[in-house]
Amino acid sequence: MNNPIISAKGLVKQYGQGATLVKALRGVDLEIPRGSFTCIIGPSGHGKSTLMHLLGGLDHPTGGSVFIDGEDMSQLDNKKLASLRAKKIGFVFQFFNLLQSLTAKENIETALMLAGVPHKEQDKRAKELLQMVGLAEKAEAKPGQLSGGQQQRVAIARALANDPPVLLMDEPTGNLDSEAEAEVMKVLANLKRQGKTIVFVTHSNDIAAKADNLISVHDGQIQLPQEFKKAS
Amino acid sequence: MTPSKLVFKSLTRRKGRFVFTLLGIMIGMASFVTFMALGGSLKSQIERESAALGANLVVTPKGSCAYEQVSILTGEQLPTNITKDEVAAIRSIEGMQAIPYLAERSAIENRPVSVMGILPNETRAFKSWTLAQGNYFPEESADGAVLGSVLAEQFGLTPGSDVRIRGVQIKVLGVLDETGGKDDLTVFLSLPVAQKIYEQKDLVSYVAVRVDRLDEVELYANKIKDKVSLGVVSDKQMRSSVLSIVGTVNMTLQLIAAVAILAAAFGIVNTMMTATYERKREIGILQAMGATRNCVFRLFLFESGIYGLIGGIGGAVLGGLGAVFATPYISQNAATSFVKGSQSSLDPAMFVGAILFSTLVAMIAGLYPAIKASKLSPVEAISYE
Repeated sequence: MNNPIISAKGLVKQYGQGATLVKALRGVDLEIPRGSFTCIIGPSGHGKSTLMHLLGGLDHPTGGSVFIDGEDMSQLDNKKLASLRAKKIGFVFQFFNLLQSLTAKENIETALMLAGVPHKEQDKRAKELLQMVGLAEKAEAKPGQLSGGQQQRVAIARALANDPPVLLMDEPTGNLDSEAEAEVMKVLANLKRQGKTIVFVTHSNDIAAKADNLISVHDGQIQLPQEFKKAS
Repeated sequence: MTPSKLVFKSLTRRKGRFVFTLLGIMIGMASFVTFMALGGSLKSQIERESAALGANLVVTPKGSCAYEQVSILTGEQLPTNITKDEVAAIRSIEGMQAIPYLAERSAIENRPVSVMGILPNETRAFKSWTLAQGNYFPEESADGAVLGSVLAEQFGLTPGSDVRIRGVQIKVLGVLDETGGKDDLTVFLSLPVAQKIYEQKDLVSYVAVRVDRLDEVELYANKIKDKVSLGVVSDKQMRSSVLSIVGTVNMTLQLIAAVAILAAAFGIVNTMMTATYERKREIGILQAMGATRNCVFRLFLFESGIYGLIGGIGGAVLGGLGAVFATPYISQNAATSFVKGSQSSLDPAMFVGAILFSTLVAMIAGLYPAIKASKLSPVEAISYE
């Protein structure tokens, strides 16, 4: 594969030790093409989320390496990992994980603040992002005043705050009805057109069918790495 | 978004907890500031009283201790066992002026007041008193009373009014100009009249001595000791001894306040630890967005500091008000009666110091929760439900 944006070699993740040892990942090799829509599928508890956490630098592998843009993340300390997350990766989670005390706009501004965007520029950028996910009119709404789909779109806008090349999404539509799921997928389609790399953990066969690249995780291993043609 | 706005939003999310934690630190700081202000007031008042006494030496009954010395400055009742002959012997020493006082207590409208038997003309000259209203004692053994200005105002007494001292009706002759000391709160009687009312015939409580040459204070102290078997203490010794007592009282009060602040600090630890557990997921989100451990640490420490800052400001204001309003109600006793009728010592530097101290204490209290929060792994934090 030419110039993958993310790659993993011999990725191992274990939790606990002795009798409580859990081998979450058992030597994973993969490559994620730049600008692709990649789905990670597999049964619950087989290591999908663990893989996503390692790909996003949220956790350190027990063995092996993860590269993003050629940089070995396993060699980075916590500070450099945090900096890398702020610059190159946007995360979206199943349960939206918006800060409940902040409005939609403030949630995005928080990500901008952490990325070092000056206070004066935050307002404009946050409004642009909300506009992009079709929620310009909900800027001052708190998460509790938004539907699930709207919250997830705010979460996507927040993940895009620093214009990262990669979006890692852990079952972002797992808690949404089909209408809200369609709203989110529409936003993601736009992002893909803009050249973003989207890594999407899902249980949905319908979504997996739309992937450019499918990674199936079973018992902590890649079972059937395969390239998909778009269903269309 | 700014770190301070983010912290403030986090703080005010749980308004009840925010307010109660804040109240804890405010009460602790308020008590601290009140005690500091009152302590400062006591010290400055002692300095004033000592100066107002106008004496270089004070002759007290043999065996007097610091309590009697405090009482001389406060106008408390004192043992009266210095005899007329001893007073005469002291007064016979040349090169100094000796003024005897009979220090007693009475009550007007059930409120305690100091009553002082004096030699009218000599005392007036000794203390440089001036009259605000009415007349002064016409002669050394005149009936009637002259009042301190604050006392006259407190009880609405004017020349011609009657005042009851130990059941005896006495006519108010005049009211002194304000002196800024305990004399403002005292009823003055001529010495013979006071001795008669208090049945202390030919006895006085202490003798204030002013020597002509300041460099010979020690010499005159020895001369007095040679003449009479009484205690002699210099004004400096007396001031130092009284300040030492007041210092101990202050220290005790401040220690009590420190315990209150310590309890409030543990309240902050508790609140912040709860926040750390409750906001695990939020911490994870911040980390996923690129917040470093140091950033999470600073946000939590800042949050604790805000408790200290707001609590410190509120506590300083409450404490200042407490000192101002408590001062007139301080009960009359040797250690605290200085405060009554005096200004509280509200030093701006003390307020700033109290606010900084409060912020520092809160930040120290927030250290452990902030470290705990910063050490959470992003995955552990995000996965928390």
